[in-house]
Amino acid sequence: MLEIKNLHVKIEDEERQILKGLSLTVPKGEVHAIMGPNGSGKSTLAYVLAGRPGYEVTEGDILWNGESLLEMEPDERAAKGVFLAFQYPMEIPGVAGLTFLRTAANAVRKKRGEAELTTPEFMKVVREKAAKLNIDTEMLKRPVNVGFSGGEKKRSEILQMAMLEPTLCVLDETDSGLDIDALRIVADGVNALRGPDRAMLVITHYQRLLNYIVPDKVHVLSGGQIRKSGDKSLALELEKSGYKEYEGEAA
Amino acid sequence: MNVAVIKTKAEQAIPELFEKVADTLPGGAKAAPARREAMSRFAAIGLPHRRIEEWKYTDLRTSLKDALAPATEAGLSAEALTAALGPLAAVAGDRIVFVNGIYSAVLSTKFDSSGLLNVAPLSEALASGLANLGAIGADEGQNAVLALNAAFVTDGAVISVADGAEIDTPLLIVNVRAGKTAQSTATRNIINVGTKAKATIIEMFVVAAGATANAQANSATEIKAGDGAEVVHVKCVSDAGEVSHLSNWLVGLGTGTVYRGFQFTSGTRVTRNGINVTYGGENAKLDMSGAFLARGSEHIDTTLVVDHAVPKCESRELFKGVLANHSRGIFQGKIIVRPDAQKTDGKQMAQALMLSPDAEFDSKPELEIYADDVVCGHGSTVAEIDEDLMFYCQSRGIPPGTARALLVQSFIGEALEKIEIETLRDALTSTTLDWLDETKA
Ligand SMILES: Nc1ncnc2c1ncn2[C@@H]1O[C@H](COP(=O)(O)OP(=O)(O)OP(=O)(O)O)[C@@H](O)[C@H]1O
Ligand SMILES: [Mg+2]
Repeated sequence: MLEIKNLHVKIEDEERQILKGLSLTVPKGEVHAIMGPNGSGKSTLAYVLAGRPGYEVTEGDILWNGESLLEMEPDERAAKGVFLAFQYPMEIPGVAGLTFLRTAANAVRKKRGEAELTTPEFMKVVREKAAKLNIDTEMLKRPVNVGFSGGEKKRSEILQMAMLEPTLCVLDETDSGLDIDALRIVADGVNALRGPDRAMLVITHYQRLLNYIVPDKVHVLSGGQIRKSGDKSLALELEKSGYKEYEGEAA
Repeated sequence: MNVAVIKTKAEQAIPELFEKVADTLPGGAKAAPARREAMSRFAAIGLPHRRIEEWKYTDLRTSLKDALAPATEAGLSAEALTAALGPLAAVAGDRIVFVNGIYSAVLSTKFDSSGLLNVAPLSEALASGLANLGAIGADEGQNAVLALNAAFVTDGAVISVADGAEIDTPLLIVNVRAGKTAQSTATRNIINVGTKAKATIIEMFVVAAGATANAQANSATEIKAGDGAEVVHVKCVSDAGEVSHLSNWLVGLGTGTVYRGFQFTSGTRVTRNGINVTYGGENAKLDMSGAFLARGSEHIDTTLVVDHAVPKCESRELFKGVLANHSRGIFQGKIIVRPDAQKTDGKQMAQALMLSPDAEFDSKPELEIYADDVVCGHGSTVAEIDEDLMFYCQSRGIPPGTARALLVQSFIGEALEKIEIETLRDALTSTTLDWLDETKA
């Protein structure tokens, strides 16, 4: 279970508070969606969950399976099952996608006390998972994300997620930039990972994604707090009326 | 202005050392006059120092405090050679091996004189009069390092590839230093690749287990690539200790020659890689690139002069260095485009990745352009490990040490990609990763 308690976050070396007492609970086996206006702090929340430097938690806590994540390095969090699919995946010139995937997969396996994959084992797994996401393994011989289209980058994130078998999946606007077919492929990839042991947090601007990845709950993040929570119909409501009623600070 | 400078300890010792060994050096009476002439030239100019523009960053008067005695023969088993080569042992090719600057027939490939390819040790070629030390001499001018090389040279590879010959097997010129005595070596390679011939030549400088940490190497390679020849030329230095490595490459290209050069340097206390390229005919293409790794208080200087004297030639340079601790990297790249050299296309880039705030990178690109219809550019960057990329890697479970290694590999990989021989590229990648493993922050 993911428990975010009264989380206050600001940017290091800046005064402005971005998250101002955000509380949220995602039980295992559930998928929760987060929607909210641009700049409301959705990516900030995602980064803080993954442990990106540069953000300061001034108050509150994040517990994953009862354990606080706050003092952990990003790689330790990954070993504990945390995975963030980036809104803007990064490029690593000169490092082949396959090398990167294998290094990552074996690093988490090692930390989780599992046996590392041999090259043939790894290739077999990667081929299967890439095929499901319609990714050509030739593409993975190229440097990580370099020269990939926006949609290709997003699919490559989901492939990384599938390879690392996380238990807490945070998807930050994975649907943005995907064409209709790719959206379905990615959603299938995400749905394949749904299970009783996994919790998912899906950040999106579009109700459309939630037709494919049907959420158990939808939350509205605005002004640094969760302003409303509901079932999937909340997304439809937002589609019609926008975020007007959530503007400004919480009462 | 002529300032009389006081000779340093090394400058005083070098002529004395020369007198001691002069009679024993290969080539006997045939080579002796050239050696003496070079020695007196050195005695007149002395070691290069920072007031000489090209040596601004590398003052040999301070960094070469003592002159070490010329190395003596040392035995080396085939196993010890393989161990010394480390990852480079995986690079297949015909070998001509020098231990402490002296040809080792046992460790070398038996070359038959097919007529297409001739490979001989310089010591023999000097004795038989097939090679002479004046070959580079004409260009030596005020180059004190080359003068020292001519005076003391013990051996090297004399290679000639016949016109039209395509030599597929790489030729490996392997230099190993061994033995416990502090030592200096001087080696020289003289290479001729004929018209429309093809060859791959890889120089390696490695150290045997248990060898002295105190050594000075002076190496020169003169390579003439004929019209339409295709040449790949690489130098890999992977040493350890208080080692100085002074190197000169003198490269002459013909019409339509395609030349790909690469220099990899790691593990030396002081390195000076001098590279001079001259174009003798139109439409020649040059790619001269390199990678260097420095840590501790190591110092690696690459000083390159590319002289476009004829039209329609191309030059590309990419040098990348990783600098840790208090180390210092230097890149000086001069591109001269003479008045006749219209349609010259030259691009140069030097980049350093700083692993420590105390490291230093000095980059001095110089364009001297006297023709008007040319495309020339240069650039230089200094960067640290990208924090965002570190986070990206770590968020995928990759521990910080491995993430750093991946990002260094990412940086240096762009230079290593210039090497088309996969085993060599892999060997240098693993040398880089091993180096990183041993490098303390
Ligand atoms: N590193 C940073 N430095 C300065 N300001 C930042 C930084 N990161 C985020 N912010 C600011 O914090 C606020 C929240 O940004 P965040 O990226 O979390 O929004 P978001 O909800 O993900 O928006 P979008 O829907 O546009 O992706 C914005 O005003 C943004 O400019
Ligand atoms: Mg965002």
